[in-house]
Amino acid sequence: MAWDLIFWVVCFFINIALLASSFYQLLSLSDLEADHLNPFEASTRINSIVLPEFLLQGLLCISFLLTWHWFMFLFTLPIAAYHLMLYLNRKHLLDVTEIFRDLNTEKKYRFIKLAVYLLLFTVVLFRLLSASIFFFFAWKFEELDIRTSLFY
Amino acid sequence: MGTENPGRPNFPMRPSATPFASAPPTVRPFSSSGPVVGSESSNVRPAPPGAPPTMTPFSSGGLRPPARFSDPSVPSPPLTSVPPSGGPYQRFPTPPFPSAAQTPPARAPPVGQPPFQPPGSQVSVPPPSFRPQTQVPPVPMGSPPQNVNFPPSSANVPQPPSDSSFSGPRPNFQMTSPLPDHSATKSSFQPPFPGYPGKQPAVSQAPSPFPAQQGSFMPPPAPPSPFASQQGSYAPPPPVAANLGYQRDQMQHPGSAPPTGSIQSLTEDFSSLSISSMPGSIEPGLDYRTLPRPLDGDLEPSSFLEMYPMNCDPRYLRLTTSAIPNSQSLVSRWHMPLGAVVCPLAEAPEGEEVPVINFASTGIIRCRRCRTYVNPYVTFTDAGRKWRCNICSLLNDVPGEYFANLDATGRRIDLDQRPELLKGSVEFVAPTEYMVRPPMPPLYFFLIDVSISAVRSGMIEVVAQTIRSCLDELPGFPRTQIGFITFDSTIHFYNMKSSLTQPQMMVVSDLDDVFVPLPDDLLVNLSESRNVVETFLDSLPSMFQDNVNVESAFGPALKAAFMVMSQLGGKLLIFQNTLPSLGYGRLKLRGDDLRVYGTDKEHTLRLPEDPFYKQMAADLTKYQIGVNIYAFSDKYTDIASLGTLAKYTGGQVYYYPSFQSNIHGEKLRCELARDLTRETAWEAVMRIRCGKGIRFTSYHGNFMLRSTDLLALPAVDCDKAYAMQLSLEETLLSTPTVYFQVALLYTASCGERRIRVHTAAAPVVTDLGEMYRQADTGAIVSLFCRLAIEKTLTSKLEDARNSLQQRIVKALREYRNLYAVQHRLGARMIYPESLKFLCLYGLALSKSVPLKGGYADAQLDERCASGFTMMALPVKKLLKLLYPSLIRIDEYLLKPSAQADDFKNIMKRLPLLAESLDSRGLYLYDDGLRFVIWFGRMLSPDIARNLLGPEFAAELSRVTLTEHDNEMSRRLVKMLKRLRESDPSYYQLPYLVRQGEQPREGFLLLVNLLEDQMGGTVGYVDWIMQIHRQVQQNA
Repeated sequence: MAWDLIFWVVCFFINIALLASSFYQLLSLSDLEADHLNPFEASTRINSIVLPEFLLQGLLCISFLLTWHWFMFLFTLPIAAYHLMLYLNRKHLLDVTEIFRDLNTEKKYRFIKLAVYLLLFTVVLFRLLSASIFFFFAWKFEELDIRTSLFY
Repeated sequence: MGTENPGRPNFPMRPSATPFASAPPTVRPFSSSGPVVGSESSNVRPAPPGAPPTMTPFSSGGLRPPARFSDPSVPSPPLTSVPPSGGPYQRFPTPPFPSAAQTPPARAPPVGQPPFQPPGSQVSVPPPSFRPQTQVPPVPMGSPPQNVNFPPSSANVPQPPSDSSFSGPRPNFQMTSPLPDHSATKSSFQPPFPGYPGKQPAVSQAPSPFPAQQGSFMPPPAPPSPFASQQGSYAPPPPVAANLGYQRDQMQHPGSAPPTGSIQSLTEDFSSLSISSMPGSIEPGLDYRTLPRPLDGDLEPSSFLEMYPMNCDPRYLRLTTSAIPNSQSLVSRWHMPLGAVVCPLAEAPEGEEVPVINFASTGIIRCRRCRTYVNPYVTFTDAGRKWRCNICSLLNDVPGEYFANLDATGRRIDLDQRPELLKGSVEFVAPTEYMVRPPMPPLYFFLIDVSISAVRSGMIEVVAQTIRSCLDELPGFPRTQIGFITFDSTIHFYNMKSSLTQPQMMVVSDLDDVFVPLPDDLLVNLSESRNVVETFLDSLPSMFQDNVNVESAFGPALKAAFMVMSQLGGKLLIFQNTLPSLGYGRLKLRGDDLRVYGTDKEHTLRLPEDPFYKQMAADLTKYQIGVNIYAFSDKYTDIASLGTLAKYTGGQVYYYPSFQSNIHGEKLRCELARDLTRETAWEAVMRIRCGKGIRFTSYHGNFMLRSTDLLALPAVDCDKAYAMQLSLEETLLSTPTVYFQVALLYTASCGERRIRVHTAAAPVVTDLGEMYRQADTGAIVSLFCRLAIEKTLTSKLEDARNSLQQRIVKALREYRNLYAVQHRLGARMIYPESLKFLCLYGLALSKSVPLKGGYADAQLDERCASGFTMMALPVKKLLKLLYPSLIRIDEYLLKPSAQADDFKNIMKRLPLLAESLDSRGLYLYDDGLRFVIWFGRMLSPDIARNLLGPEFAAELSRVTLTEHDNEMSRRLVKMLKRLRESDPSYYQLPYLVRQGEQPREGFLLLVNLLEDQMGGTVGYVDWIMQIHRQVQQNA
């Protein structure tokens, strides 16, 4: 039981990190667009956190698989696969020289990712709460089995 | 309205005024729209003499104008501007006409605009008109007496013409408005009219249909007739009417030829090719001789300049269409690229240099909000205390030092001393606010490959000699800096401190962690270290003559050069002979993989293989370093990767495949010398601004974007052009004119920071036909070319060609649909006159080196190098390259004595068809990059002997063209020299080829006869048929 809670807490923080990274990248891109940032700086900023983000996301995906959370795994899989594809094609980093040409696609891609992460965030939050409730108040509800059918 | 005020007073003055009151509508228009009013007001004026009776005629005559005027007048509100002027004018009213009339003409000249001269002439005309007012009798009167009944009308009639042209009617405003038009005021008066000096036809046009009537029609028509007369005579002048013109433009646009506008509309306004057989049949009923060909070279669109004489010259800025669409739906129906091609530093012919202006204490005058620079289209108001920005129409204060009073016409009195208010192209000296650091000195850094292949080809020797010979001519004399690095598998630095007698060489062999062995003295001031530099260049060839190193540590050497230069920036010239094989950025042989062609991976061959190159290019740009690549290898050198460095730093790629100094030496020498000595703008940034509602969205060429609309150009010169596309931000443009302003901020070689500003105006139209009519094939082809080359970087060659063809087809189909209803088109292919060469250039483009065929048709390196070159070429040179000239020269050489002017006659270009070649002739093919001299099989042996000397019978691949001691040879050499002088950006190396000498004849000349069908490609006739069929398919 404790493990379950710990797992969801870890997921929760990973998810927050992912959200933050996406958000930061988007912010940098819009700064670039508004000319508050030059392309050199913007691309170094973004490129420096692209790989960590990929790794974290991959980690999350794999841990869902290993802990047998099918639904969560399938939920994170598309993004993980997309990341892997980008990485294998060496397209994961922003190209400084053509950054303005790709700006809109890059922004859209990050917006979608942000939305997915947000969705993931709500689900994880829900699971985290349920896990903690289950953990802390399990003894109170021992007779009731409804929650199990609800949450599992 | 200022105008109104003055106007009112007038009326009261005249008894006739009262009658007018009854026709208020007419009056209003006048008052508000200063310029337009001219015609109307004129009517009014005349009336006074005629008094009451006039009334009726007036109303009828007057009514008409109101309708047209109404629109313009409304926008004209700029009351603000007028009031000040109004004051002064009021004086005029009384002594008025004569004096006023005279003044205007006088002023017109000072304005200094040649285009205006026509107006000037008009101006002179007005005086007569004025007289009528004062003394009725003059010209018009002749007729009036006859029609006693109509006195009023007749009186009116005559005057209007003069007035409208002149705007003289109400001396008050008219004077102000019209004249100013020429200069600047116009725009102030009415935003709508601003630009259109030439356009006027508007008002007159309406009447134009009646030209013939003049005599015939008696009473009622009378009013129109005057107009008609006007038209003929003054049509071009009346700047005022411009706007109106537009509204009716749809039908007939004055653009091309204002006076004839109406007539034009009656005939077909498109060109056509009749294709007698129906599509699908085998026989192409098309005579190839009748097809349009640009044998006269590129013609710049002139109507644009006529319309807006203050625009910058088309050599600096060309719009793909000089009629900007007013709505997005119109844009989407115009299937051509909508944009501009800018060549900010184009070489100006003698006498037309861009004036340099130093505002010194005043600071550069710019709009507060949109940062537009002051230009001829801004308008001064409020007695000269304010000026209105023509791009965002914000009212700015005029700084105290820049203040000048406005004269009666609303022009600044110091106008003729202010080139920035007269010319579309000016250069401002920038004060310190425009500098991030002190202006850099011109800096040339050379990175020279000295591996064995470079030594063998003789490249090093030519380069060293050329640099040495150019030392005196490097721009920015006392401040010029210079430095060298050579490399093979190690990197060699040279200490050239001025106190040394000969340079010290330092070798760094650690390629993974490159460092610079000396903090200073690798980059030295040329004038101080001149001797050391010369010694170095003298000894360079011999230093490495025994080098047997085959490796090339290009990446590390580039990094080293970057480190040395990063303090200052400058120009980095790289001489590369082999594929980079060591350290960062090492490259693989990848170009010879046949299997990749035709697959989705094909395009990756044309992209840099290693991200190192893009990253490096970005860093170089950041530190203001421009790279020019000289590549020499006979084997694959991956120009795609190397060229990236030049592409993003605003440089260019020179490619000499299989370089041999005895053959290509001269070419390298000339091109390197040009590169070193041409005027260069350092650490530059360029931005193009345009009016509200439109926006430049994409940029194409060799540069890197620093922000969404700022081009970073570390080193830019006259041989570089940039293209950009624009889009409409608003669904509907309400302004009648759109302005563009290109600003290039740079450091001149002399150490001065300058801003070169080019301003242009273009009308906004609501009619698609007009857009096509005003299209500029050169600019369109240039943009198409860049788009297609960019497309080859993300998809297959075939896709790039197809999308090009599709766009042409779509455009022609849209055009056809415009006329399909009114005219029976049948099996004719129709196209706008302005785009008659579009199909041919489209064909040429898809047969050009970067786009043609597949794997076998061009070496990958050649393709890439040519792609980089074409991305930077100015319009004229690109067109020359796409449709090269083919000239028969034997007759010229045989002529007993050729005069100088004879030269022009001989330059008769022939269609690029095998049929043009006569086996008894000698032909010169010139595409701007090289000459091919073709010897016909039956050419008289004398000519060959005279030109080639004793070797004339030998195989021509081994023969080089040298001057022999006879008239004919001298004349040929002189002719080639003249041709080269006319296009100095590249050195055209002559290749000699004899008819039937395969395979050389094939790849040197026959392939380039692009109108012929050659191995799988279509010929011109088939191409036209193909396009025609596609146009009709979904029409």
